[in-house]
Amino acid sequence: MSPLALIWKELWHHRANALLVAGGLALAVALLTVVRLTSVAAERETRRVMRDLGFNLRIIPRDTDMEAFWANGYSDQTLPLDTVPRLAAQHGLFVTFNHLTPTLEHRFPVGGRDALLTGLGLSVIGPGEKKQPLGFVIPKGSVYLGSEVAARLGAKPKSKIELAGRSFTVERVLAESGSDDDIRLYTALEDTQALLGLPGRINEIKAIDCLCLTADQDPLSQLRAVLEKALPEAKVLQLRALSDARAKQRQMAERYAAFAVPGVLLGGALWIGLLTVLNVRERRAEIGLWRALGRSSSQLATLFLGKAALLGLLGAGLGYALGTAVALRFGPDIFKVTAKALEPDFALLGWAALLTPVFAAVSAFLPAMLAVAQDPADSLRAD
Amino acid sequence: MITCEQVNRTFHGPGGEVRGLSEVSFTVARGEFVAVQGASGSGKSTLLLTLGGMLRPSSGRVVVNGHEFYRLSAAERGRVRAEGIGFVFQLFHLVPYLTVLDNVLAGLPGSVDSTARKRAAALVDEFGLSARAAHSPATLSAGERQRTALARAILKQPAVILADEPTGSLDPENAAAVFRHLAAYQQRGGTVMVVTHGQDAAPFASRTFRLAQGQLAELNASPTAR
Repeated sequence: MSPLALIWKELWHHRANALLVAGGLALAVALLTVVRLTSVAAERETRRVMRDLGFNLRIIPRDTDMEAFWANGYSDQTLPLDTVPRLAAQHGLFVTFNHLTPTLEHRFPVGGRDALLTGLGLSVIGPGEKKQPLGFVIPKGSVYLGSEVAARLGAKPKSKIELAGRSFTVERVLAESGSDDDIRLYTALEDTQALLGLPGRINEIKAIDCLCLTADQDPLSQLRAVLEKALPEAKVLQLRALSDARAKQRQMAERYAAFAVPGVLLGGALWIGLLTVLNVRERRAEIGLWRALGRSSSQLATLFLGKAALLGLLGAGLGYALGTAVALRFGPDIFKVTAKALEPDFALLGWAALLTPVFAAVSAFLPAMLAVAQDPADSLRAD
Repeated sequence: MITCEQVNRTFHGPGGEVRGLSEVSFTVARGEFVAVQGASGSGKSTLLLTLGGMLRPSSGRVVVNGHEFYRLSAAERGRVRAEGIGFVFQLFHLVPYLTVLDNVLAGLPGSVDSTARKRAAALVDEFGLSARAAHSPATLSAGERQRTALARAILKQPAVILADEPTGSLDPENAAAVFRHLAAYQQRGGTVMVVTHGQDAAPFASRTFRLAQGQLAELNASPTAR
């Protein structure tokens, strides 16, 4: 009789043990599936929240007069636009910085009052990344208006306004923000450069800090060290509160995964190991008999490890289905912003089907070796 | 066929040293039916497991079917056992999740083909178990279980059958049936060694030994049975 047939018949005979092993594995896989799907959702949601918070690093020309900078909100010095690709080309830069977005900002008369004219260039992200751009991507010839400016001009979406004799289409009117964004006009970088007569120039690179260190871990000195090497003509300012919030959120998510995954794996391994020990004890006489019939150690080990692997496969399928069902049922209540993005991860099913049998067999390895090492004389001796 | 030379087996337990076998020497020729009598704890099972290559003696030499067992590796002993030795135990030791037919087939060392299935079915029929062929051991009587175990031992036509108290759990009628099957196997050229606590194997045996406190002594030789 083939080992698979023997395993199958034994599984059916010891149904309770098999169900407990498969159930334990299914529960572990379900928990990991829920953790994985919700972690992805939490990460997505966090990313959305962080994107809404905006950039947390400002890279400005080194010679900036800081008093004027804080009084005006922008640097009085400029850098060439090619500073961005030069910075991005630095090896390992995206470990520290990301979403490098060139901007040019200056006061500009609009409707008889000064507004903040802000030109936004395209963000540069790390190679191979698929991140959504932060901020706005504004087509040439279009403007986004802050609420105060729009009210002053009486502008509405799709209406036209004139800036320094050039016509622009109002693409969006931004909601009141309670910040200086309410007196801003956003345009494409090239349009702002043309309006200010500063072609090819920028006065700031906005960015995101990827170190994700909290304030007490002193991220600023590391950021400055990296920038000093890559771009000595610039300096970096960190919006501490935003960076700190981002870092804490990220570290919390990492701690959650670091706690949950090993905990589930350890619990699962102990459960399978315990049940396999019980199964081995229950089958002492049978093991002795197989020895008496001349079965080898590898044939005996195959019976126990093969059984564990088969149950692992079953547990993977059941656990994936259960975990996905739970995540899809309750996830949208938790992650309301990105609820629609919660969906089954079929790659996870593949990994579960591949790794769970291996995990189950490894967990059953020690008890299986106990079975193999068992002295058949102990269980076969009658007197 | 079986040669034991000055075999000793000592067990070390919390109560001190116990001698399971003491200077045991004998020879069993091919085609013999040998019975070993002994009280409980006399070393009968120890002797049989030692002959079966499953309990290494503390000293001495064991040769079965031309193989000096304890000079072989565990894997080689397993192969010799699988091909040349059939076991029958007092507690039957049937695989609980296999049917009667599959239990009989479990005695074969290699893969099971249709010829083997036919031979097993014929043996099951010969042992009066046809109606029970698809049943699990849990539903069988003690006699049926032992006949199943006997069929399992015989199916591969081993050179030797070692039976450890094969009738210890059976009523006299079933016990006699088991000995008749063993005797029939011996008459077809097989070698049988049975250990029992009583004398019920003696009428079928060509030679009878007594085992007491690990020491073996030959009682008689029965020319009629031989």
